[in-house]
Amino acid sequence: MTFKRLMRLYALYAKMDFAWLLRDAWFAVLAIVSEWISNIAAITGVFLLAWRFDGIGGMDKFEVLLMLAYYTVVTGVFQLFFASNNTGHISRRIGHGQFEHMLVQPVPLAVQLLTEGFIPFSGSSKLISGVVIMCIAVAKLGLPVTWWWVLSVAGNVAVTIAIILGQSYLYSSLAFYAPVQAEEISTYAIDNVGYISSFPLSGMPVYMQLPLITVIPSGLLAWFPTLALLGKPPLGLPGALPLLFAVVLAALASILFRKGFRYYVQKGTNRYLAWGHRR
Amino acid sequence: MFKKGPTGTSHGGTAVSAEGVTKIFTQWQRENAGKGVLKNLLKPDKKIITALDHVSFSIDIGEFVAYAGPNGAGKSTTMKILCGMLLPTEGEITVLGMQPHISRIPLMNRIGVLFGNRTELWWDHPVSQSFEWKRVVWDIPDDVYRKNLDIVTELLDIGPLLKTFARELSLGQRMRADLAMLLLHSPELVLLDEPTLGLDVVAKRQMIEFLKKLNRESGVTIVVTSHDMDDLEEMAQRILMIGGGRLAYDGSFEGLRGVTGNLSRLSVTMPDGIALEIPGGRLLSTRNGVYEFEIDLAKHPVREVLYRISQIPDVKDVEIRKAPIEQVIAELYKAWK
Repeated sequence: MTFKRLMRLYALYAKMDFAWLLRDAWFAVLAIVSEWISNIAAITGVFLLAWRFDGIGGMDKFEVLLMLAYYTVVTGVFQLFFASNNTGHISRRIGHGQFEHMLVQPVPLAVQLLTEGFIPFSGSSKLISGVVIMCIAVAKLGLPVTWWWVLSVAGNVAVTIAIILGQSYLYSSLAFYAPVQAEEISTYAIDNVGYISSFPLSGMPVYMQLPLITVIPSGLLAWFPTLALLGKPPLGLPGALPLLFAVVLAALASILFRKGFRYYVQKGTNRYLAWGHRR
Repeated sequence: MFKKGPTGTSHGGTAVSAEGVTKIFTQWQRENAGKGVLKNLLKPDKKIITALDHVSFSIDIGEFVAYAGPNGAGKSTTMKILCGMLLPTEGEITVLGMQPHISRIPLMNRIGVLFGNRTELWWDHPVSQSFEWKRVVWDIPDDVYRKNLDIVTELLDIGPLLKTFARELSLGQRMRADLAMLLLHSPELVLLDEPTLGLDVVAKRQMIEFLKKLNRESGVTIVVTSHDMDDLEEMAQRILMIGGGRLAYDGSFEGLRGVTGNLSRLSVTMPDGIALEIPGGRLLSTRNGVYEFEIDLAKHPVREVLYRISQIPDVKDVEIRKAPIEQVIAELYKAWK
């Protein structure tokens, strides 16, 4: 698999997304505008609290806004690359018996999973909202925006995405063994951790903060990386903690997913939902 | 048409080879009431199912082979093993000289797989978009793609379907579109699992004629499964018959008839209450004026049978069809004993 071929696949899925968007342009515009509104609404509650109390747990109100922007950017990137065709929610494909469709394509599975979810036209509104909010927060905080800082944001976002995918694939491994029971497990794995991620953990007791950056890594999805980007990683921990966590999680997810996949090709599955594959 | 290979029935090279392939599945047994519910939790019963039991066969390049058996006989399991979706519990499989589970990617560039109850088409896109997707994902050279697209569009008459969403196609249309997409990369071997399942007479005929032409003119090796003997006999030159996970017969259809006879089912519709006798026929059932007989047409030529029926007054309808595959297999086992 060459880089050129990979780019061709991304271009293919971008084109398919564009074609899909144009087929029902009026409803697509409505959906995108609604999404913009819901993206803003999703973070407004926490930001208004921070505004009313002039910050939360030692975080300035615009630091809270930066954290909310970071989380919106992360979920925006996830939506852009992995929300479509269930590449991020892989337990659905496995549970629906549709993983086998991937096995008849002459493309490595990892490349299929990386490219099939790419929807730059219908799935970029959240990312754009996040970037706009981040620009506002950065301006209000008066942060010096250097190339290094922008790269640090990009690197942190990539690590956070790796943590989200790591969790999704780790739990999705169960769908190889129990397709019916675990078909929606990736949604729960992502959403349950995600719900708490837009709340600043600053000011909470350490015994609550620690589990939330280890066992349930909600704090690693926005709070920890934002403070690290502001140059003050919490709890005196190194700023590279999310990276370390992502590496361990990815290794674990990879081992268990491969093990589950081996089980799948040995035992097979009787379940197949004919809703069009990738659903 | 497509990748030009030698034509005819057998060309020396081996397309598929299976050696002692066994596939065992485990099925959990659940009880619904009483102590059984507790047992489900603590120690559920396990049922071992041998889907394939030391199956061995070889298919030459250019052959058109029917892989037949009743429902649950292991046909789909074999197809899945051949394309690397399942691993055999025991035995060796080689497809175009490759082991499917090891050489999945190069193998998928050279074979085409279609399961009748599944579609490879993109559900929410027009058929032409799925074809375009196939072109990029399979990295099909433009000239090959254009040529193949023209051919399948004409032969499968899918021109009017190209702009239709896959989810809006009828079953017959979907199967034609799926088959067309399957052939765009010029596969050397085509594996079809129940491609005629659920198709009406016209769609079935179109599919069968196309497959025969594909094999005859392009030398594409085709392995097709079905539980419908009539369809298979019309398409293939050789039949592999599987029953209870074991290979019950491997040879020509004529050879099969030599062992089991030409077992057929004869249905005669006429008013109730007439004692109808057909020479050589065994009455199986009478319902609503339909008399169903079992008859071996190898021993009792169809001409004689029809002559006898023509002498009966008030006959409204006559239908002759092949005996169900389960019965043919049962006869095979009986013949061996």
